[in-house]
Amino acid sequence: MMKRIALTFLLASTAPFALPSSPARAEHKSPLADAPAIRKRVELRDKRFEVGVGAGSTVNETFYHGVVLNGHLAFHITDWLAIGGAGLFNVTALATGFHDELTSTLKDPMGEDRAPNAAVANSGMNKPSMVLAGQIELTPFTGKFALFGGLFAHYDFYLYGGPAFVSLVKAGSTMAPACADKTMSDTTCITTGSKIGPTFGGGIHSYFNDWFGLTLDLRDVVIKDNPAGRDVNGDLVADKRDLTWSSHWVVTLGVTAFFPKADISP
Amino acid sequence: MKRRAVCLFVSILIGGAGGTGAWAAGSKDKADTKDADAAGAGAGAGADVAGGAEAPPPDISGDLDLSDNKASEDAAATIKASSTLTWQDIVVIPRKRFLKGGRFEFSPFVGTSINDILIQHYVFGLDLNFFITDAFSIGLQGDYYVKQLTDRESLIGLQYNRIPTLNRYLWSGLLNFGYVPAYGKFALFNKSIVHWEIFVSGGVGITQTEIIPRNISYEPFKTNAITPDVGIGGRFFLFDWLTVNYMFRDYIILDKYEPLTRGEPDMTMPNGVKYYSAADAKSHADGKLVNNIMFYVGVGVFLPTSFQYKTPR
Repeated sequence: MMKRIALTFLLASTAPFALPSSPARAEHKSPLADAPAIRKRVELRDKRFEVGVGAGSTVNETFYHGVVLNGHLAFHITDWLAIGGAGLFNVTALATGFHDELTSTLKDPMGEDRAPNAAVANSGMNKPSMVLAGQIELTPFTGKFALFGGLFAHYDFYLYGGPAFVSLVKAGSTMAPACADKTMSDTTCITTGSKIGPTFGGGIHSYFNDWFGLTLDLRDVVIKDNPAGRDVNGDLVADKRDLTWSSHWVVTLGVTAFFPKADISP
Repeated sequence: MKRRAVCLFVSILIGGAGGTGAWAAGSKDKADTKDADAAGAGAGAGADVAGGAEAPPPDISGDLDLSDNKASEDAAATIKASSTLTWQDIVVIPRKRFLKGGRFEFSPFVGTSINDILIQHYVFGLDLNFFITDAFSIGLQGDYYVKQLTDRESLIGLQYNRIPTLNRYLWSGLLNFGYVPAYGKFALFNKSIVHWEIFVSGGVGITQTEIIPRNISYEPFKTNAITPDVGIGGRFFLFDWLTVNYMFRDYIILDKYEPLTRGEPDMTMPNGVKYYSAADAKSHADGKLVNNIMFYVGVGVFLPTSFQYKTPR
């Protein structure tokens, strides 16, 4: 009897505490839990076209640095994905310090060793004159920054990759014979014409406003090339068997414009 | 039976009183939460209302005099209206993620040279910085280098019958001053935010270099070269005590190279060739200013491992 009374007492006294406890706990769910990281964000890329132009230079070329002009066109399918194309055009070439030091040691007329004279060495050297690339572009990081605590700007980092068509031309004033498939005698030949290879790179947009910005870009184009036009594989002759995959790095700085007008996120 | 009925009545009374207390406590918690969130968000209207639209409105009739108090009416209206607020109605101004002033940074790093087509150096180093303020720092850097000759270097002999004149770097020690001109943040898929900063650095130090003799039978010599340096890099803030760092640094080395005429026949010299000994070669060495640009990545461990904000939200 007493046991039943105690149980009744326990249930009756604890029930009022138990019933309102569920909504009380639910009250502590913050409305910020579902909030996006950025609100009222200017959608700088989503469903917008991008057009850019700029200028730059090749990096770490062995014999000739190229000064390039570049153009870029892209459509941003989403905020982080775009499809586009780029063109880089070599407007002039400057001999590297290594080229000058090397050719200054080459004797004319040639000695009895394997060393060519400067004219022969130069006749085999080539340089990229144009790069046309199609590319998929990803923009994983976007944000804003403060410069000296006072200048604020939006920015994004992007990466891209795709195929590239590269046109190679002679770098010097004279030109050695074109590299044959196989030769038994040529010690210098030149590789010219079109090459296809992968290109990839990345860069940063820094926006002045919601449609205009600055672009810094670093690109690598990898093609089968023989920039020296000399023997590479050690058979003491120069031909197409001496082609190797070579990187051509280009850094450019330019301006870019986006259109149409940017949307604002919730 | 009568006793049972009395017990049940008493227990319901006690339970009911407890339940009212629980409701009252719930309202107080809510008010506290509201105050805290409002303070944190920096917006008085941005109250955190528990449960959103799904939660029942609180019973406040017992706390407010609704008959003749206009302020109380406004407060009641605010609370009722706020029950439908969402994250869109709350303004959030986060504080700076990381404070460095008065802290030490212990930063090991690894990297590689990027601008020499003939010889590549890998670096293993350590930065020890003290942040005088959040933006200014002073620090020491130590580097140990490992060399690797490139494919292009090996082709020079095959293609042109020449041997390049090269130096390798052994170690360097520098005193640097740093400044943080820019900081920012980025969103990862609009879900989380990562804070970062860009810093520039410059200083001076010593690099010990050693020539790689063109003729391997000749003795190399070492040079302690004065090395001004400038760099630009960044930090990504992961925790209160940990960052991921990257850096481009140009070490401007006033170096000495093996004389080009070393090894030429000279019967006036002891070994019949010019500058055979290392000391002789060094005294006739060709001086040259070299830019050794390195890129390196590392982590920054900050001590003390935590910090306190000095200003209120």
